[in-house]
Formats: sequence, structure tokens, C-alpha cells
Amino acid sequence: MKVLKIGAVWCPGCIIMKPRWQKIEQELPWLETEYFDYDKDKDVVEKYQVGKKIPVFIFLDKDSQEFDRKTGEIDRKELMAFLQENKDR
Amino acid sequence: MKIFLKIFLIVIMSAVLILPNLVLAQDLTDVYLTIFYGDGCPHCHNELLFLEKLQAEFSNLKIRKLEVWSDKDNLEVMKDAVRKFNLTTTNVPLTIIGSEVITGYLNDETTGSRIRKIVEKHSATGCQDTVGEIMGLDVSQGDVVCDQDQESKNITLPVFGQINTATWSLPLLTMAIAAVDGFNPCAMWILLFLISLLLGMEDKKKMWILGSTFIIVSALAYFLFLAAWLNLFLFLGFIRVIRVVIGLVAIGSGGYHLKSYWQNRDGSCEVVDDEKRAKIIDRLRKITEQKFFWLAVLGIVGLAFAVNLIELVCSAGLPAIYTQILALAKLSTPGYYLYLLLYIFIFTLDDLLVFIIAMTTLQAVGISSKYTRWSNLIGGIIIFILGILLIFKPGWVMFG
Repeated sequence: MKVLKIGAVWCPGCIIMKPRWQKIEQELPWLETEYFDYDKDKDVVEKYQVGKKIPVFIFLDKDSQEFDRKTGEIDRKELMAFLQENKDR
Repeated sequence: MKIFLKIFLIVIMSAVLILPNLVLAQDLTDVYLTIFYGDGCPHCHNELLFLEKLQAEFSNLKIRKLEVWSDKDNLEVMKDAVRKFNLTTTNVPLTIIGSEVITGYLNDETTGSRIRKIVEKHSATGCQDTVGEIMGLDVSQGDVVCDQDQESKNITLPVFGQINTATWSLPLLTMAIAAVDGFNPCAMWILLFLISLLLGMEDKKKMWILGSTFIIVSALAYFLFLAAWLNLFLFLGFIRVIRVVIGLVAIGSGGYHLKSYWQNRDGSCEVVDDEKRAKIIDRLRKITEQKFFWLAVLGIVGLAFAVNLIELVCSAGLPAIYTQILALAKLSTPGYYLYLLLYIFIFTLDDLLVFIIAMTTLQAVGISSKYTRWSNLIGGIIIFILGILLIFKPGWVMFG
């Protein structure tokens, strides 16, 4: 599983989520994540049709197919449970 | 002879019984009572009903009713009276009997009882028609035996003790509306982007100067905007149509904040229009890359003023609603501006906190949108209720 994190330096929700993801990434070494900037990475924003609300977290399976996405400030425990549940996808 | 004696005694006794009353009746001097009231103000309505009853009891009572919310001439008389008596609070109803001033009206048992006592006292001693003098009328001069005692609006709360509601309601309301206005993601994104650029600078002193200049100039621009609204409302006076329009704006704004609370459950940030955002970001980059520091400072000043024009749109009418309520409060000129300063301080507080924490920890910080949600909920309810009151019960939102 891979997570695409799309945010911006000017977005309070993105700033709030940054340390939460850092902690999750430390706890789940198998998890692959990649960050994209809403202003700079226009191609990714367009490809995944991010829309007008950020932060957006897109969850890709082994075949790089999107199987879920979440928006906004998400509780770390909720995110951990979701990732553990979908670890083998 | 006995008959004459009886008649004589009856006359004497009658004289003893009746004469004092005749003398008293002759001694009852005219008492001039002036009430400044607002059409639609509930306390004024109650006092006017009480005064009708009082008028039936005291034939010497001359009541002058001056409506001040829609009548500008009457308002001018009220302003003159306020100056004459050096009043700090000028709410309606304002009752003046001689040189005794009664502000507010609680009920017939308390304020009504006081008015009755004053009228009784002055019926015997006489009192000047002070408001008549202000109005330039030919008034009879009575003996002035008046002591000034203002109606207090104290309530007793556990822990806090006695609190004057008139003194505390407006500051609390100011802080509440300013907090809702300040928790505005539209405004915060520019500051956050600036912080991200500043954190990349090597010179800490320049970081602090540029960031604080942005916040101070933004606050100044907003202060000027609020002052313009306030002066407009003060100039227009108590025009019912304006009050109703602002009331409708408040209902709309309250609804908008409640909608934001309801819709933005996930705490995501709404992205500002791409073109506008790109322009501001580009301008901020150029400013921080300026070779000459003073040019960067000038650039920040210009940008702060410019982006605040955007912010005024984002505020959803809150400045207009607040300044209308402030104008209704009828304070002294420094009083108005002190309230505006309090508003600006609370409005800027979150920006200041985010900036100071970022500059000291050298890490970008954001305020969780959970707080923004609660601010939208509480603020939405307050502003919605204010809108209803501005239209139907304006007297309830007249502080000071």
C-alpha cells in the first residue's frame, strides 16, 4: 500500500497532519508515503482530481490503484486502524 | 344663637380639614418629566405604560416623550442632555426629572417606584424643566432639590460576585464576534505562506520584522475599515431601515457560520481561487527575495493592505454587524475606539500566536480546524440571535 499526501504550506489542516503522519511512518516502517504540494505538483493534483479541499490522502493498492481517500484532519488512531486493516492491499 | 355657633364651628372645622388640602393643592408645582425612548425598545414601552398610570395620579406631572431612534432632532436634544449631565452611559430609556437622571427601566416596582418618589418629592419642592431649557423653551424655574442616582444593572453571580451587566455585556460580545471573525481561514493562509517563506530566511531579525509588519499593517487596515463602518452608522443615526438591513445581514452571516460548522466536519481547508492565490504567492516570494530590505518591508505593507480587501469579503458582514451594535451603544468617542482596539486585538490574537510560535520554534504551526468549527457554531448562534434582536428587539442590544 502507498499513501499520497497532498497538502500546502499555507493550509492549517495540512500543518496539523504533518507530525501525525511522521509518527505513523515511524510506527509503520512498511508504509510507503509520498508528499505532493498542491501549488507545485499540478499534474498529481489534476491526475487524482484533488478538488478544492485539502489535505487529501489517497490510498493506493499494490497495483497503484486508488482504493480509498480521506480529506481533512484525521485522528491518528483512526488512521492507524485504517492502515493496519488495509496493510495487505 | 346656638344655630349660629353650630354653623360657625362647622365652618371652622371644615376650614381646618379642607384648607390644608387647598393649600397643598396650590403648592403642587408642575413637575416636568422627559423620557427619551426608542420605538421598539421593550424597556421603554414598559416605562411609557407606567408613566400613563403615573400621569393619572399626578395632574401636575408634565410628561414629554421624545423618540430618538427615528427622530434626529430628538436625538440631538438627548445628546445635549447627555453632555449637560456628563453621562457615561446613554441608553434608552433615559428619564430626566429636573436634574435627576434615571437610565434604564427594570419594572414598576423598582425603577417605577423611584420615579414615583422623585415626582412626589418634586411636586412639593418644585424642579427645573432642564430638558425644556435645552430645547430652548420658556420654562418656569423651580427650586432645584435633586440628587442624581443612576439605575444600576447589577447581577450577582457565584464566584464573580456583583457584576454590572451594562459594563460587561459589550466587552464580552466584542470578544466573541472578534474571535469568530479572527478564526478566518481566508486570512490565515496568507500568513502561513509568509511564515513558510520566512522560515527559509537566514536572518532572524528580518524574519521577525517582516512577519510582524504584515500582522500590524493587516490589523491597522482592518481597524480603519471598522472605523469607517462605525462612523457611517454614527452619522446615519438610529435609522430603522439600516438596523433591519444589518439584522438581516446578521441572520445571513449567522446562518453561513452555522452552515460552515455543519459542512466542514472533516476539518479540511477550502482552497482560495487558483488565480488569486497564485498572484499573492508570487508577490510574497518576490518580496522576501528583495535585495534591499526596506523594499521588502514596503512590499509587505502594500500586500497586507491589499489582501485585507479580500479578507473584508470573507468576513461575511461581521464588521458591519459589530459596528452597528457599537453605534447603538452610544459611547464617548474614545470609548468607541477602545472597543475597536479590543476587537482588533482579539481578531489578531490567533495570527500573533501562530507567528510567534513559528518564529520561536522555527516550525510552522496551524490552528486545528476543530477550533474553527466550534467558533463557527458558537459565533453562528450568537450572530444569528443578534440579527433577530436587531430587527425585533433592538433595545436588547443597546449596551453601554
